[in-house]
Amino acid sequence: MTPFFKRYKLALFLAFKSIIKGNHWTLALIIAVMAFSFVNLIFTSSIISGVMATLDQQMIDTMFANIVLSPEENEYYIEKVDELLPKLEQLDGVAAVSAHLNSTAFIEYRWKEKLSQADRGKSGTWSVIGIDPNNEINVTSIHEHLVEGQYLDNNDRDQVLLGVEVAGGSRSQTPDFLNLGGVHAGDKVRLTFENGIMREYTVKGIFCAREMQRADHLAFITRKEMASVFNRQVFYDRATQILVRTADGRGEGSIIPAIKGTGFKGEVRGWDEYAGAQHAVIGTFGVIGSVIGAVGLIVATIVMFIIIYINVLNKKRQIGILRAVGIPRDAIVGSYLIQALSFAGAGIVLGFCLINFVVHPVLAAFPIDLPIGPLNLKVEMGRMVISAFALLIASLMAGLVPAVTVMRENITRTIWGV
Amino acid sequence: MIHTSNLHKTYGHGSGAVHALKGVELQIETGEFVAVMGRSGSGKSTLLRILGLLDEPTQGDIYVDGINIARLPERKKAKFRLNKFGFVFQEHSLVSELTVLENVYLPAICSSHNNEYIEYARELLEVVGLTDRLQHYPGEISGGEQQRVAIARSIVNKPKILFADEPTASLDEESSHIVLDLFSRLNRDMGQTIIMVTHEPEDRKYVDRVIYLRNGAVDLGGAPLSPDLLN
Ligand SMILES: Nc1ncnc2c1ncn2[C@@H]1O[C@H](COP(=O)(O)OP(=O)(O)OP(=O)(O)O)[C@@H](O)[C@H]1O
Ligand SMILES: [Mg+2]
Repeated sequence: MTPFFKRYKLALFLAFKSIIKGNHWTLALIIAVMAFSFVNLIFTSSIISGVMATLDQQMIDTMFANIVLSPEENEYYIEKVDELLPKLEQLDGVAAVSAHLNSTAFIEYRWKEKLSQADRGKSGTWSVIGIDPNNEINVTSIHEHLVEGQYLDNNDRDQVLLGVEVAGGSRSQTPDFLNLGGVHAGDKVRLTFENGIMREYTVKGIFCAREMQRADHLAFITRKEMASVFNRQVFYDRATQILVRTADGRGEGSIIPAIKGTGFKGEVRGWDEYAGAQHAVIGTFGVIGSVIGAVGLIVATIVMFIIIYINVLNKKRQIGILRAVGIPRDAIVGSYLIQALSFAGAGIVLGFCLINFVVHPVLAAFPIDLPIGPLNLKVEMGRMVISAFALLIASLMAGLVPAVTVMRENITRTIWGV
Repeated sequence: MIHTSNLHKTYGHGSGAVHALKGVELQIETGEFVAVMGRSGSGKSTLLRILGLLDEPTQGDIYVDGINIARLPERKKAKFRLNKFGFVFQEHSLVSELTVLENVYLPAICSSHNNEYIEYARELLEVVGLTDRLQHYPGEISGGEQQRVAIARSIVNKPKILFADEPTASLDEESSHIVLDLFSRLNRDMGQTIIMVTHEPEDRKYVDRVIYLRNGAVDLGGAPLSPDLLN
């Protein structure tokens, strides 16, 4: 054996004996600190990633589907929708498509009770989207989030579907003066469209998609009805947007070029291009999460440092004896490094098990309900590897510094303390 | 084979400085069993630690087979301690996490070329009469037994010189005899060079020669003291 391997073997031997014969409570404490530090490093970032994934999914499910087609620049509408839709549906990877005809409307509730023209109570302006309900249910999931009443049918004319933030009431998150103050299914509301047309509708249903930013602030009528509000002859074949749902597991990347290949002239964008603002907000939380993680790592390092330092100081005399006997410095320092790495390794494995076999199942069994939906941990492998690596480095430092410090001291001082 | 020239050791600085060794000159031959004696505070432990490379002299040289070991870098000193020197301390000095057998072969793990050292460690433990304690830990055996384990450990690498600082100070009379008999047997049968600090006048009967220290210098027994030693 080369001298290097002999010293390595000796270091392993000393480390092993030290762990086996050392104080088991200290050992348990060190490993627990490591494990919880690891969980801490993973947990915060996983929550943020989970929230981000949930919000993204909500955006896909309620607002944009996977791909959004919009008119050419300087055009307000996509024309000849009835020809376009079948072409899109036939594309490989496309699961469903749905056309939207968008407008805004001034919506009033209990308008007869208003005291004067200036009284704007129980009214407001919201986006109203004309949809083909039979298509829409394959593209977005609004129909799964009804809290009252029913979804629209293709032939509905005087029915409207309201988001919970439009309807108001106890389920809405916005203050009363910003919504209709508690409309229920079966109530009547009056819509005044951009072109001045005023019509009364019965609220057919109310939905709460928990997408507080946008979806829950929408109102839906059928596309046929919307076309008739404007000019049925011209508008029956028009859309403001066409949403495309891709088949499971198909990325937008390959399908967008195919859509452009059909000769469609307008803009084609993936949902994520609409998510910029939301991603910026979440990115901010990501930075905050990283800062919390870094602070956690520093605290973990200091705690490990203290524990290992005390451990080494307790064995100062022992180290002096090893040096007096002539045990090479590398073997002594090496044994402390191996110990520190073993602690970190055991802590990381334990932390990994805690996350996967305790935190995950517990959250699955008892979901924590956030305003945007159930909390969903998204543990990223890369994050895991980086955290494990950071902990290993931290523990190496925590092992190295005290050992080297003691090795620098005079042997007689380490043994006899003078 | 080991000799020193003008060895000085000063602890501390300025007014609090203690001049523990003041120009020690001595020479010890291979195979000698030498006792170092003198009053408490005369510098015996200091001298032994410096000879054994556990501490550095403030001034002066130590030659072993012509090499000035006092001037070696720490890494080479450690090698010297491992392969050429053995040390037995006054108080218990075993590694508490290792068994008796492991303590004995510990220094040999790094220096030997095969695994025969385990067998050799067993033999040494037989020599010191501890065959039935191999798997015990230091905390489980008596002080005298610990000291015998320390002796076995100190010679496992077949050192040129064995240093012992009051090895029997913490032992009762019977254990002391066992340890000292062991030393003289090692010296007689294996030709082991031994330098032992003791304050027991009786121990003189075990050794070939006594070096007296007085005030940090070798007392040549009746020889006139040099002027700087008078104050
Ligand atoms: N680390 C130290 N710092 C300061 N002074 C020291 C130190 N070690 C020893 N001394 C002093 O050096 C002198 C010699 O000490 P040393 O331990 O060598 O004496 P000794 O002959 O071994 O005594 P004893 O028989 O009591 O063991 C003493 O005056 C002691 O106080
Ligand atoms: Mg002494």
